[in-house]
Amino acid sequence: MRLGWSLPVLFVALVLYCLLLPEVWVSREQVRSEVQAGYIIPSQFSRILALGNKGILADFLFLKTATFIGGRGGAGQPLSEEDWHYVIRSLDVITDLDPYFSDPYTLAAGLLSWDAGKPEEANRLLKKGFHYRTFDWRLPFFIGFNYFYFLRDYETAADYIMTASQLPNSPAYLPTLGARLAYYGGKSKTALLFLQEMIADTDDALLRRRLELRLLALERAVIIEEALEHFKLRENRLPAPSELVELGYLPELPPDPYGGQWVLLPNGRVFSTSRFVVVDSNRDNAVEE
Amino acid sequence: MRGMLSLAVITFKEGIRNRSLFGIALLALFLFGLNITVAGFFMRDIGKVTVDINLSALNFAGLLLIFFVGINLMAKDIDRKTIHLVLSKPLSRSQYICGKYFGIQFFITASLMLLMVFSCLTVALLLQLYPNYFDGFSWGIFFVATFFIFVKLWLLSAVVIFFSSLTSSSLITLIFSLATYVAGVTIEEVVFYLKTELAAQERIISESLKSFIEVISWVVPNFAAFDFTMEAAHGLAINTDRLMVSFGYGVLYSAILLLLASLIFSRREFN
Repeated sequence: MRLGWSLPVLFVALVLYCLLLPEVWVSREQVRSEVQAGYIIPSQFSRILALGNKGILADFLFLKTATFIGGRGGAGQPLSEEDWHYVIRSLDVITDLDPYFSDPYTLAAGLLSWDAGKPEEANRLLKKGFHYRTFDWRLPFFIGFNYFYFLRDYETAADYIMTASQLPNSPAYLPTLGARLAYYGGKSKTALLFLQEMIADTDDALLRRRLELRLLALERAVIIEEALEHFKLRENRLPAPSELVELGYLPELPPDPYGGQWVLLPNGRVFSTSRFVVVDSNRDNAVEE
Repeated sequence: MRGMLSLAVITFKEGIRNRSLFGIALLALFLFGLNITVAGFFMRDIGKVTVDINLSALNFAGLLLIFFVGINLMAKDIDRKTIHLVLSKPLSRSQYICGKYFGIQFFITASLMLLMVFSCLTVALLLQLYPNYFDGFSWGIFFVATFFIFVKLWLLSAVVIFFSSLTSSSLITLIFSLATYVAGVTIEEVVFYLKTELAAQERIISESLKSFIEVISWVVPNFAAFDFTMEAAHGLAINTDRLMVSFGYGVLYSAILLLLASLIFSRREFN
Protein backbone atom coordinates (compact mmCIF):
# COMPACT_ATOMS: atom_id res chain seq x y z
CA MET A 1 0.00 0.00 0.00
CA ARG A 2 1.33 3.44 -0.89
CA LEU A 3 1.85 5.97 1.93
CA GLY A 4 -0.63 8.33 0.25
CA TRP A 5 -3.45 5.87 0.91
CA SER A 6 -2.37 4.59 4.28
CA LEU A 7 -2.86 7.88 6.15
CA PRO A 8 -6.54 8.41 5.18
CA VAL A 9 -7.22 4.70 5.84
CA LEU A 10 -5.57 5.02 9.27
CA PHE A 11 -7.65 8.15 9.96
CA VAL A 12 -10.90 6.37 9.01
CA ALA A 13 -9.91 3.35 11.11
CA LEU A 14 -9.21 5.61 14.12
CA VAL A 15 -12.56 7.40 13.70
CA LEU A 16 -14.37 4.05 13.46
CA TYR A 17 -12.47 2.86 16.54
CA CYS A 18 -13.52 5.97 18.51
CA LEU A 19 -17.14 5.37 17.49
CA LEU A 20 -17.08 1.71 18.31
CA LEU A 21 -15.23 1.79 21.62
CA PRO A 22 -18.05 3.42 23.66
CA GLU A 23 -20.40 0.75 22.27
CA VAL A 24 -18.04 -1.95 23.51
CA TRP A 25 -18.10 -0.44 27.01
CA VAL A 26 -21.90 -0.08 26.99
CA SER A 27 -22.25 -3.68 25.87
CA ARG A 28 -19.81 -4.87 28.54
CA GLU A 29 -21.66 -2.91 31.21
CA GLN A 30 -24.91 -4.57 30.17
CA VAL A 31 -23.32 -8.02 30.18
CA ARG A 32 -21.82 -7.43 33.61
CA SER A 33 -25.14 -6.27 35.07
CA GLU A 34 -26.92 -9.35 33.69
CA VAL A 35 -24.24 -11.85 34.47
CA GLN A 36 -24.89 -14.43 37.17
CA ALA A 37 -22.61 -14.55 40.16
CA GLY A 38 -19.36 -16.09 39.02
CA TYR A 39 -17.68 -19.26 40.12
CA ILE A 40 -14.85 -18.83 42.52
CA ILE A 41 -12.08 -21.40 42.51
CA PRO A 42 -11.80 -23.05 45.95
CA SER A 43 -8.82 -21.88 47.95
CA GLN A 44 -7.13 -25.33 47.90
CA PHE A 45 -6.65 -24.80 44.16
CA SER A 46 -6.28 -21.02 43.94
CA ARG A 47 -3.39 -21.26 46.44
CA ILE A 48 -1.61 -23.48 43.91
CA LEU A 49 -2.62 -21.45 40.86
CA ALA A 50 -1.34 -18.23 42.50
CA LEU A 51 2.21 -19.47 41.76
CA GLY A 52 3.56 -18.01 44.94
CA ASN A 53 1.63 -14.74 44.68
CA LYS A 54 -1.14 -15.45 47.19
CA GLY A 55 -1.11 -11.93 48.60
CA ILE A 56 -1.64 -10.19 45.31
CA LEU A 57 -4.27 -12.77 44.24
CA ALA A 58 -6.14 -12.02 47.48
CA ASP A 59 -5.96 -8.27 46.67
CA PHE A 60 -7.28 -8.87 43.15
CA LEU A 61 -10.13 -11.14 44.31
CA PHE A 62 -11.10 -8.59 46.96
CA LEU A 63 -11.27 -5.80 44.34
CA LYS A 64 -13.32 -8.09 42.10
CA THR A 65 -15.78 -8.89 44.90
CA ALA A 66 -16.09 -5.23 45.95
CA THR A 67 -16.66 -4.26 42.29
CA PHE A 68 -19.30 -6.98 41.95
CA ILE A 69 -21.24 -5.65 44.96
CA GLY A 70 -20.73 -2.02 43.84
CA GLY A 71 -21.81 -2.87 40.29
CA ARG A 72 -25.08 -4.40 41.48
CA GLY A 73 -25.66 -1.42 43.79
CA GLY A 74 -24.84 1.06 41.00
CA ALA A 75 -27.32 -0.62 38.67
CA GLY A 76 -30.00 -0.50 41.41
CA GLN A 77 -30.22 -4.30 41.45
CA PRO A 78 -30.59 -6.16 44.70
CA LEU A 79 -28.12 -8.95 45.32
CA SER A 80 -29.86 -12.30 45.02
CA GLU A 81 -29.32 -15.18 47.41
CA GLU A 82 -26.96 -16.70 44.83
CA ASP A 83 -25.02 -13.42 44.63
CA TRP A 84 -24.57 -13.35 48.41
CA HIS A 85 -23.34 -16.95 48.37
CA TYR A 86 -20.78 -15.88 45.78
CA VAL A 87 -19.70 -12.95 47.97
CA ILE A 88 -19.36 -15.23 51.02
CA ARG A 89 -17.39 -17.84 49.06
CA SER A 90 -15.14 -15.10 47.65
CA LEU A 91 -14.48 -13.63 51.10
CA ASP A 92 -13.70 -17.13 52.35
CA VAL A 93 -11.19 -17.74 49.56
CA ILE A 94 -9.61 -14.28 50.01
CA THR A 95 -9.16 -14.83 53.73
CA ASP A 96 -7.79 -18.34 53.10
CA LEU A 97 -5.19 -16.84 50.76
CA ASP A 98 -4.28 -14.11 53.25
CA PRO A 99 -5.93 -14.57 56.65
CA TYR A 100 -4.37 -11.33 57.96
CA PHE A 101 -6.02 -9.16 55.25
CA SER A 102 -8.42 -6.91 57.21
CA ASP A 103 -10.52 -5.40 54.38
CA PRO A 104 -12.54 -8.60 53.68
CA TYR A 105 -13.51 -8.75 57.36
CA THR A 106 -14.56 -5.09 57.29
CA LEU A 107 -16.68 -5.80 54.21
CA ALA A 108 -18.21 -8.88 55.86
CA ALA A 109 -19.05 -6.87 58.98
CA GLY A 110 -20.57 -4.03 56.95
CA LEU A 111 -22.57 -5.96 54.39
CA LEU A 112 -23.27 -9.56 55.34
CA SER A 113 -25.17 -8.73 58.52
CA TRP A 114 -27.04 -5.66 57.32
CA ASP A 115 -27.71 -6.26 53.64
CA ALA A 116 -27.60 -10.01 53.29
CA GLY A 117 -29.28 -10.71 56.62
CA LYS A 118 -26.57 -13.27 57.39
CA PRO A 119 -25.06 -12.20 60.73
CA GLU A 120 -24.02 -15.81 61.48
CA GLU A 121 -21.96 -15.92 58.27
CA ALA A 122 -20.46 -12.52 59.07
CA ASN A 123 -19.53 -13.71 62.55
CA ARG A 124 -18.01 -16.94 61.19
CA LEU A 125 -15.72 -14.89 58.93
CA LEU A 126 -14.94 -12.38 61.67
CA LYS A 127 -14.06 -15.15 64.13
CA LYS A 128 -11.76 -16.64 61.50
CA GLY A 129 -10.10 -13.23 61.21
CA PHE A 130 -9.80 -12.86 64.98
CA HIS A 131 -8.04 -16.24 65.12
CA TYR A 132 -5.17 -14.62 63.16
CA ARG A 133 -5.53 -10.89 63.88
CA THR A 134 -5.51 -11.31 67.64
CA PHE A 135 -4.20 -7.74 67.97
CA ASP A 136 -7.12 -6.11 66.08
CA TRP A 137 -9.84 -4.79 68.42
CA ARG A 138 -12.22 -4.11 65.52
CA LEU A 139 -12.93 -7.80 64.88
CA PRO A 140 -14.31 -8.67 68.35
CA PHE A 141 -16.09 -5.29 68.27
CA PHE A 142 -17.91 -6.23 65.03
CA ILE A 143 -18.67 -9.75 66.33
CA GLY A 144 -20.07 -8.20 69.51
CA PHE A 145 -22.22 -5.81 67.49
CA ASN A 146 -23.69 -8.67 65.44
CA TYR A 147 -24.50 -10.60 68.61
CA PHE A 148 -26.07 -7.49 70.10
CA TYR A 149 -28.06 -6.12 67.20
CA PHE A 150 -28.94 -9.07 65.00
CA LEU A 151 -28.71 -12.16 67.14
CA ARG A 152 -30.00 -10.48 70.34
CA ASP A 153 -27.46 -12.39 72.42
CA TYR A 154 -26.49 -9.55 74.77
CA GLU A 155 -24.35 -11.65 77.08
CA THR A 156 -22.06 -12.92 74.30
CA ALA A 157 -22.04 -9.43 72.78
CA ALA A 158 -20.86 -7.93 76.07
CA ASP A 159 -18.12 -10.60 76.29
CA TYR A 160 -16.78 -9.72 72.85
CA ILE A 161 -16.94 -5.98 73.52
CA MET A 162 -15.00 -6.53 76.75
CA THR A 163 -12.42 -8.58 74.80
CA ALA A 164 -12.15 -5.75 72.25
CA SER A 165 -11.72 -3.18 75.02
CA GLN A 166 -8.62 -5.02 76.30
CA LEU A 167 -6.82 -4.88 72.94
CA PRO A 168 -4.32 -2.16 71.99
CA ASN A 169 -5.62 1.14 70.52
CA SER A 170 -9.27 0.29 71.30
CA PRO A 171 -11.50 3.32 72.01
CA ALA A 172 -11.82 4.38 75.64
CA TYR A 173 -15.62 4.03 75.65
CA LEU A 174 -15.62 0.27 74.95
CA PRO A 175 -15.63 -0.92 78.60
CA THR A 176 -18.63 1.39 79.25
CA LEU A 177 -20.34 0.09 76.14
CA GLY A 178 -19.76 -3.50 77.22
CA ALA A 179 -21.25 -2.80 80.66
CA ARG A 180 -24.16 -0.90 79.15
CA LEU A 181 -24.86 -3.76 76.77
CA ALA A 182 -24.96 -6.23 79.59
CA TYR A 183 -27.41 -3.97 81.48
CA TYR A 184 -29.70 -2.43 78.89
CA GLY A 185 -29.62 -5.09 76.20
CA GLY A 186 -31.32 -4.17 72.98
CA LYS A 187 -31.99 -0.42 73.08
CA SER A 188 -31.50 1.43 69.78
CA LYS A 189 -29.42 4.07 71.57
CA THR A 190 -26.71 1.47 72.22
CA ALA A 191 -26.68 0.60 68.51
CA LEU A 192 -26.02 4.26 67.71
CA LEU A 193 -22.65 4.08 69.45
CA PHE A 194 -21.68 1.01 67.43
CA LEU A 195 -22.72 2.58 64.15
CA GLN A 196 -20.92 5.86 64.82
CA GLU A 197 -17.72 3.89 65.43
CA MET A 198 -18.22 1.82 62.28
CA ILE A 199 -18.65 4.98 60.19
CA ALA A 200 -15.57 6.59 61.72
CA ASP A 201 -13.68 3.44 60.79
CA THR A 202 -14.90 3.18 57.18
CA ASP A 203 -13.27 4.88 54.22
CA ASP A 204 -15.08 3.03 51.47
CA ALA A 205 -17.64 5.46 49.98
CA LEU A 206 -20.26 2.79 49.20
CA LEU A 207 -20.12 1.20 52.62
CA ARG A 208 -20.03 4.59 54.34
CA ARG A 209 -23.15 5.81 52.48
CA ARG A 210 -25.08 2.73 53.54
CA LEU A 211 -23.98 3.02 57.16
CA GLU A 212 -24.81 6.74 57.29
CA LEU A 213 -28.34 6.05 56.06
CA ARG A 214 -28.72 3.43 58.77
CA LEU A 215 -27.37 5.82 61.35
CA LEU A 216 -30.01 8.37 60.31
CA ALA A 217 -32.75 5.73 60.55
CA LEU A 218 -31.50 4.63 63.97
CA GLU A 219 -31.26 8.22 65.21
CA ARG A 220 -34.91 8.69 64.29
CA ALA A 221 -35.84 5.39 65.93
CA VAL A 222 -34.08 6.61 69.10
CA ILE A 223 -36.08 9.90 69.04
CA ILE A 224 -39.31 7.91 68.84
CA GLU A 225 -38.13 5.42 71.49
CA GLU A 226 -37.41 8.27 73.92
CA ALA A 227 -40.83 9.84 73.29
CA LEU A 228 -42.41 6.40 73.74
CA GLU A 229 -40.64 5.97 77.07
CA HIS A 230 -41.99 9.32 78.33
CA PHE A 231 -45.47 8.44 77.09
CA LYS A 232 -45.45 5.06 78.83
CA LEU A 233 -44.28 6.66 82.09
CA ARG A 234 -47.09 9.21 82.10
CA GLU A 235 -49.96 7.35 80.46
CA ASN A 236 -49.05 3.80 81.47
CA ARG A 237 -50.04 2.34 78.10
CA LEU A 238 -48.66 1.81 74.59
CA PRO A 239 -49.57 4.63 72.14
CA ALA A 240 -50.21 4.51 68.41
CA PRO A 241 -47.39 6.33 66.54
CA SER A 242 -49.69 9.24 65.63
CA GLU A 243 -50.64 9.76 69.31
CA LEU A 244 -47.04 10.75 70.11
CA VAL A 245 -47.48 13.79 67.85
CA GLU A 246 -51.09 14.53 68.76
CA LEU A 247 -50.36 14.58 72.51
CA GLY A 248 -47.22 16.68 72.08
CA TYR A 249 -44.54 14.09 72.83
CA LEU A 250 -43.03 14.68 69.38
CA PRO A 251 -43.29 17.80 67.14
CA GLU A 252 -43.64 15.41 64.19
CA LEU A 253 -43.10 11.74 63.46
CA PRO A 254 -39.72 11.59 61.67
CA PRO A 255 -40.02 9.57 58.47
CA ASP A 256 -38.12 6.31 58.09
CA PRO A 257 -35.42 7.15 55.46
CA TYR A 258 -35.91 3.66 54.03
CA GLY A 259 -39.60 4.42 53.35
CA GLY A 260 -41.15 2.07 55.93
CA GLN A 261 -43.79 2.64 58.63
CA TRP A 262 -42.87 2.83 62.31
CA VAL A 263 -44.33 0.20 64.61
CA LEU A 264 -44.11 0.63 68.40
CA LEU A 265 -43.40 -2.56 70.31
CA PRO A 266 -44.61 -3.24 73.89
CA ASN A 267 -40.99 -3.76 75.06
CA GLY A 268 -40.29 -0.09 74.34
CA ARG A 269 -38.46 -0.65 71.06
CA VAL A 270 -39.35 0.88 67.70
CA PHE A 271 -39.52 -1.29 64.63
CA SER A 272 -39.88 -0.25 60.99
CA THR A 273 -41.74 -2.22 58.34
CA SER A 274 -38.85 -1.43 55.97
CA ARG A 275 -36.49 -3.48 58.19
CA PHE A 276 -34.01 -0.75 57.18
CA VAL A 277 -33.79 -1.76 53.53
CA VAL A 278 -35.14 0.63 50.87
CA VAL A 279 -38.70 -0.22 49.83
CA ASP A 280 -39.28 -0.18 46.06
CA SER A 281 -43.04 0.21 45.58
CA ASN A 282 -42.84 -0.56 41.83
CA ARG A 283 -41.43 -3.99 42.34
CA ASP A 284 -43.26 -4.61 45.59
CA ASN A 285 -40.19 -5.98 47.23
CA ALA A 286 -37.30 -4.70 49.24
CA VAL A 287 -34.33 -3.32 47.39
CA GLU A 288 -31.07 -2.95 49.18
CA GLU A 289 -29.68 0.54 49.35
CA MET B 1 40.11 -17.92 40.09
CA ARG B 2 41.02 -14.83 38.12
CA GLY B 3 39.68 -16.36 34.90
CA MET B 4 36.42 -17.22 36.66
CA LEU B 5 36.08 -13.64 37.91
CA SER B 6 36.78 -12.25 34.42
CA LEU B 7 34.13 -14.55 32.96
CA ALA B 8 31.66 -13.42 35.64
CA VAL B 9 32.36 -9.76 34.78
CA ILE B 10 31.96 -10.44 31.04
CA THR B 11 28.69 -12.31 31.65
CA PHE B 12 27.46 -9.44 33.85
CA LYS B 13 28.33 -6.84 31.17
CA GLU B 14 26.67 -8.95 28.48
CA GLY B 15 23.51 -9.10 30.56
CA ILE B 16 23.50 -5.36 31.28
CA ARG B 17 23.86 -4.60 27.56
CA ASN B 18 20.79 -6.67 26.69
CA ARG B 19 17.97 -4.42 25.50
CA SER B 20 15.30 -6.61 27.10
CA LEU B 21 16.50 -5.14 30.39
CA PHE B 22 14.93 -1.79 29.54
CA GLY B 23 11.58 -3.41 28.73
CA ILE B 24 11.60 -5.36 32.00
CA ALA B 25 12.62 -2.24 33.97
CA LEU B 26 9.81 -0.26 32.30
CA LEU B 27 7.30 -2.98 33.17
CA ALA B 28 8.43 -2.93 36.81
CA LEU B 29 8.20 0.87 36.89
CA PHE B 30 4.71 0.64 35.41
CA LEU B 31 3.72 -1.79 38.18
CA PHE B 32 5.07 0.58 40.83
CA GLY B 33 3.07 3.42 39.23
CA LEU B 34 -0.02 1.20 39.11
CA ASN B 35 0.47 0.58 42.82
CA ILE B 36 0.06 4.30 43.55
CA THR B 37 -3.21 4.35 41.57
CA VAL B 38 -4.68 1.10 42.88
CA ALA B 39 -3.81 1.58 46.56
CA GLY B 40 -6.67 4.07 47.04
CA PHE B 41 -9.25 1.44 45.96
CA PHE B 42 -8.84 -0.43 49.23
CA MET B 43 -10.43 0.34 52.58
CA ARG B 44 -7.80 0.03 55.29
CA ASP B 45 -5.07 -2.35 54.16
CA ILE B 46 -3.31 0.08 51.80
CA GLY B 47 0.06 -0.82 53.35
CA LYS B 48 -0.52 -4.52 52.76
CA VAL B 49 -1.55 -3.96 49.13
CA THR B 50 1.48 -1.71 48.55
CA VAL B 51 3.89 -4.29 49.91
CA ASP B 52 2.16 -7.10 47.96
CA ILE B 53 2.38 -5.24 44.66
CA ASN B 54 5.97 -4.07 45.20
CA LEU B 55 7.31 -7.47 46.18
CA SER B 56 5.36 -9.20 43.38
CA ALA B 57 6.68 -6.64 40.85
CA LEU B 58 10.27 -7.23 42.01
CA ASN B 59 9.76 -10.99 41.91
CA PHE B 60 8.13 -10.84 38.47
CA ALA B 61 10.86 -8.58 37.06
CA GLY B 62 13.49 -10.97 38.46
CA LEU B 63 11.81 -13.96 36.83
CA LEU B 64 11.63 -12.16 33.47
CA LEU B 65 15.33 -11.23 33.78
CA ILE B 66 16.28 -14.84 34.39
CA PHE B 67 14.02 -16.39 31.75
CA PHE B 68 14.60 -13.83 28.99
CA VAL B 69 18.14 -12.62 29.64
CA GLY B 70 19.81 -14.98 32.14
CA ILE B 71 19.14 -18.16 30.16
CA ASN B 72 20.75 -16.72 27.04
CA LEU B 73 23.89 -15.74 28.94
CA MET B 74 24.97 -19.38 29.14
CA ALA B 75 22.72 -21.36 26.80
CA LYS B 76 23.55 -19.15 23.81
CA ASP B 77 27.26 -19.95 24.27
CA ILE B 78 26.37 -23.57 23.62
CA ASP B 79 23.66 -22.78 21.07
CA ARG B 80 25.97 -20.63 18.93
CA LYS B 81 29.07 -22.78 19.55
CA THR B 82 30.98 -19.80 21.04
CA ILE B 83 31.65 -22.17 23.94
CA HIS B 84 34.63 -23.57 21.99
CA LEU B 85 36.27 -20.15 22.01
CA VAL B 86 35.72 -19.70 25.76
CA LEU B 87 36.92 -23.19 26.66
CA SER B 88 40.10 -22.74 24.59
CA LYS B 89 41.18 -20.19 27.26
CA PRO B 90 43.01 -21.37 30.40
CA LEU B 91 39.75 -22.01 32.26
CA SER B 92 38.44 -25.29 33.65
CA ARG B 93 34.87 -26.31 32.94
CA SER B 94 33.95 -26.02 36.63
CA GLN B 95 35.36 -22.49 36.64
CA TYR B 96 33.29 -21.77 33.53
CA ILE B 97 30.11 -22.95 35.33
CA CYS B 98 30.91 -20.90 38.44
CA GLY B 99 31.92 -17.84 36.40
CA LYS B 100 28.67 -17.93 34.44
CA TYR B 101 26.65 -18.45 37.64
CA PHE B 102 28.26 -15.54 39.47
CA GLY B 103 27.91 -13.37 36.34
CA ILE B 104 24.17 -14.08 36.17
CA GLN B 105 23.89 -13.58 39.95
CA PHE B 106 25.63 -10.16 39.75
CA PHE B 107 23.45 -9.18 36.83
CA ILE B 108 20.19 -10.14 38.58
CA THR B 109 21.30 -8.52 41.85
CA ALA B 110 22.44 -5.24 40.24
CA SER B 111 19.29 -4.94 38.08
CA LEU B 112 16.96 -5.68 40.97
CA MET B 113 18.84 -3.34 43.32
CA LEU B 114 18.07 -0.54 40.89
CA LEU B 115 14.39 -1.54 40.76
CA MET B 116 14.38 -1.81 44.53
CA VAL B 117 15.30 1.86 44.80
CA PHE B 118 12.15 2.71 42.82
CA SER B 119 10.16 0.22 44.87
CA CYS B 120 11.30 1.88 48.12
CA LEU B 121 10.41 5.30 46.69
CA THR B 122 6.89 4.02 45.86
CA VAL B 123 6.44 2.61 49.37
CA ALA B 124 7.79 5.82 50.92
CA LEU B 125 5.45 7.93 48.79
CA LEU B 126 2.39 5.87 49.74
CA LEU B 127 3.50 5.93 53.36
CA GLN B 128 3.48 9.72 53.11
CA LEU B 129 0.07 9.78 51.38
CA TYR B 130 -1.67 7.26 53.67
CA PRO B 131 0.26 7.32 56.97
CA ASN B 132 -2.70 5.89 58.94
CA TYR B 133 -3.09 2.85 56.73
CA PHE B 134 0.32 1.24 57.18
CA ASP B 135 -0.47 -0.56 60.46
CA GLY B 136 2.51 -2.57 61.60
CA PHE B 137 4.57 -1.82 58.48
CA SER B 138 8.29 -2.28 59.07
CA TRP B 139 11.08 -1.41 56.64
CA GLY B 140 13.21 -4.11 58.28
CA ILE B 141 10.76 -6.91 57.47
CA PHE B 142 10.21 -5.43 53.99
CA PHE B 143 13.97 -5.63 53.31
CA VAL B 144 14.11 -9.19 54.69
CA ALA B 145 11.33 -10.22 52.28
CA THR B 146 13.17 -8.48 49.41
CA PHE B 147 16.44 -10.19 50.33
CA PHE B 148 14.73 -13.58 50.12
CA ILE B 149 13.41 -12.71 46.65
CA PHE B 150 17.10 -12.33 45.73
CA VAL B 151 17.90 -15.70 47.36
CA LYS B 152 15.08 -17.32 45.39
CA LEU B 153 16.32 -15.81 42.13
CA TRP B 154 19.91 -16.89 42.85
CA LEU B 155 18.62 -20.42 43.33
CA LEU B 156 16.65 -20.19 40.09
CA SER B 157 19.85 -19.00 38.35
CA ALA B 158 21.52 -22.20 39.58
CA VAL B 159 18.60 -24.18 38.10
CA VAL B 160 19.15 -22.40 34.77
CA ILE B 161 22.91 -23.18 34.89
CA PHE B 162 22.16 -26.82 35.70
CA PHE B 163 19.80 -27.27 32.72
CA SER B 164 22.13 -25.29 30.42
CA SER B 165 24.88 -27.76 31.27
CA LEU B 166 22.57 -30.66 30.35
CA THR B 167 20.99 -29.47 27.12
CA SER B 168 22.23 -27.97 23.91
CA SER B 169 19.27 -25.66 23.23
CA SER B 170 18.28 -22.46 25.07
CA LEU B 171 14.61 -23.25 24.40
CA ILE B 172 14.85 -26.60 26.19
CA THR B 173 16.66 -24.91 29.08
CA LEU B 174 13.85 -22.34 29.24
CA ILE B 175 11.15 -25.02 29.25
CA PHE B 176 12.88 -27.13 31.94
CA SER B 177 13.68 -24.11 34.13
CA LEU B 178 10.14 -22.75 33.81
CA ALA B 179 8.69 -26.18 34.66
CA THR B 180 10.99 -26.43 37.69
CA TYR B 181 9.95 -22.96 38.84
CA VAL B 182 6.21 -23.73 38.50
CA ALA B 183 6.67 -27.07 40.30
CA GLY B 184 8.81 -25.38 42.97
CA VAL B 185 6.33 -22.62 43.82
CA THR B 186 3.35 -25.00 43.93
CA ILE B 187 4.80 -28.15 45.46
CA GLU B 188 4.34 -26.99 49.06
CA GLU B 189 0.63 -26.30 48.56
CA VAL B 190 0.15 -29.69 46.88
CA VAL B 191 2.02 -31.55 49.65
CA PHE B 192 0.02 -29.82 52.40
CA TYR B 193 -3.25 -30.27 50.52
CA LEU B 194 -2.61 -34.03 50.39
CA LYS B 195 -2.18 -34.01 54.16
CA THR B 196 -5.58 -32.36 54.78
CA GLU B 197 -8.73 -34.24 55.75
CA LEU B 198 -10.43 -32.97 52.62
CA ALA B 199 -7.90 -34.76 50.43
CA ALA B 200 -8.29 -37.89 52.53
CA GLN B 201 -12.02 -37.86 51.75
CA GLU B 202 -11.31 -37.64 48.01
CA ARG B 203 -10.67 -41.28 47.31
CA ILE B 204 -9.50 -40.48 43.77
CA ILE B 205 -6.01 -39.58 44.99
CA SER B 206 -4.14 -42.84 44.70
CA GLU B 207 -1.25 -43.94 46.88
CA SER B 208 1.07 -44.04 43.86
CA LEU B 209 0.28 -40.40 43.08
CA LYS B 210 1.00 -39.48 46.70
CA SER B 211 4.34 -41.31 46.50
CA PHE B 212 5.16 -39.52 43.25
CA ILE B 213 4.42 -36.12 44.84
CA GLU B 214 6.59 -37.13 47.83
CA VAL B 215 9.51 -37.85 45.48
CA ILE B 216 8.96 -34.60 43.58
CA SER B 217 8.92 -32.64 46.87
CA TRP B 218 12.45 -33.96 47.56
CA VAL B 219 13.74 -33.20 44.07
CA VAL B 220 12.38 -29.77 43.12
CA PRO B 221 13.34 -26.70 45.16
CA ASN B 222 10.57 -25.48 47.50
CA PHE B 223 10.44 -21.82 46.46
CA ALA B 224 7.71 -21.13 49.04
CA ALA B 225 10.46 -21.32 51.69
CA PHE B 226 11.69 -17.91 50.47
CA ASP B 227 8.27 -16.24 50.52
CA PHE B 228 8.03 -13.67 53.32
CA THR B 229 5.46 -11.46 51.57
CA MET B 230 2.71 -12.04 54.12
CA GLU B 231 5.02 -11.18 57.01
CA ALA B 232 6.20 -8.00 55.22
CA ALA B 233 2.64 -7.04 54.21
CA HIS B 234 1.32 -7.22 57.78
CA GLY B 235 4.51 -6.43 59.69
CA LEU B 236 4.51 -9.85 61.38
CA ALA B 237 7.65 -10.81 63.27
CA ILE B 238 9.80 -13.49 61.62
CA ASN B 239 11.55 -16.15 63.64
CA THR B 240 15.35 -16.02 63.17
CA ASP B 241 15.48 -19.82 62.92
CA ARG B 242 13.14 -19.70 59.95
CA LEU B 243 15.37 -17.13 58.23
CA MET B 244 18.47 -19.26 58.83
CA VAL B 245 16.78 -22.45 57.62
CA SER B 246 15.50 -20.76 54.44
CA PHE B 247 18.83 -19.11 53.69
CA GLY B 248 20.78 -22.32 54.38
CA TYR B 249 18.37 -24.30 52.22
CA GLY B 250 18.79 -21.86 49.31
CA VAL B 251 22.59 -21.84 49.53
CA LEU B 252 22.87 -25.62 49.88
CA TYR B 253 20.46 -26.37 47.02
CA SER B 254 22.28 -23.89 44.73
CA ALA B 255 25.67 -25.44 45.67
CA ILE B 256 24.40 -28.96 44.89
CA LEU B 257 23.04 -27.84 41.52
CA LEU B 258 26.30 -26.08 40.62
CA LEU B 259 28.36 -29.14 41.63
CA LEU B 260 26.10 -31.40 39.54
CA ALA B 261 26.30 -28.94 36.63
CA SER B 262 30.13 -28.94 36.89
CA LEU B 263 30.23 -32.75 36.92
CA ILE B 264 27.94 -33.07 33.90
CA PHE B 265 29.61 -30.22 32.03
CA SER B 266 33.11 -31.67 32.61
CA ARG B 267 32.09 -34.92 30.91
CA ARG B 268 30.22 -33.30 28.10
CA GLU B 269 31.47 -33.38 24.52
CA PHE B 270 30.79 -30.49 22.16
CA ASN B 271 30.51 -31.04 18.42
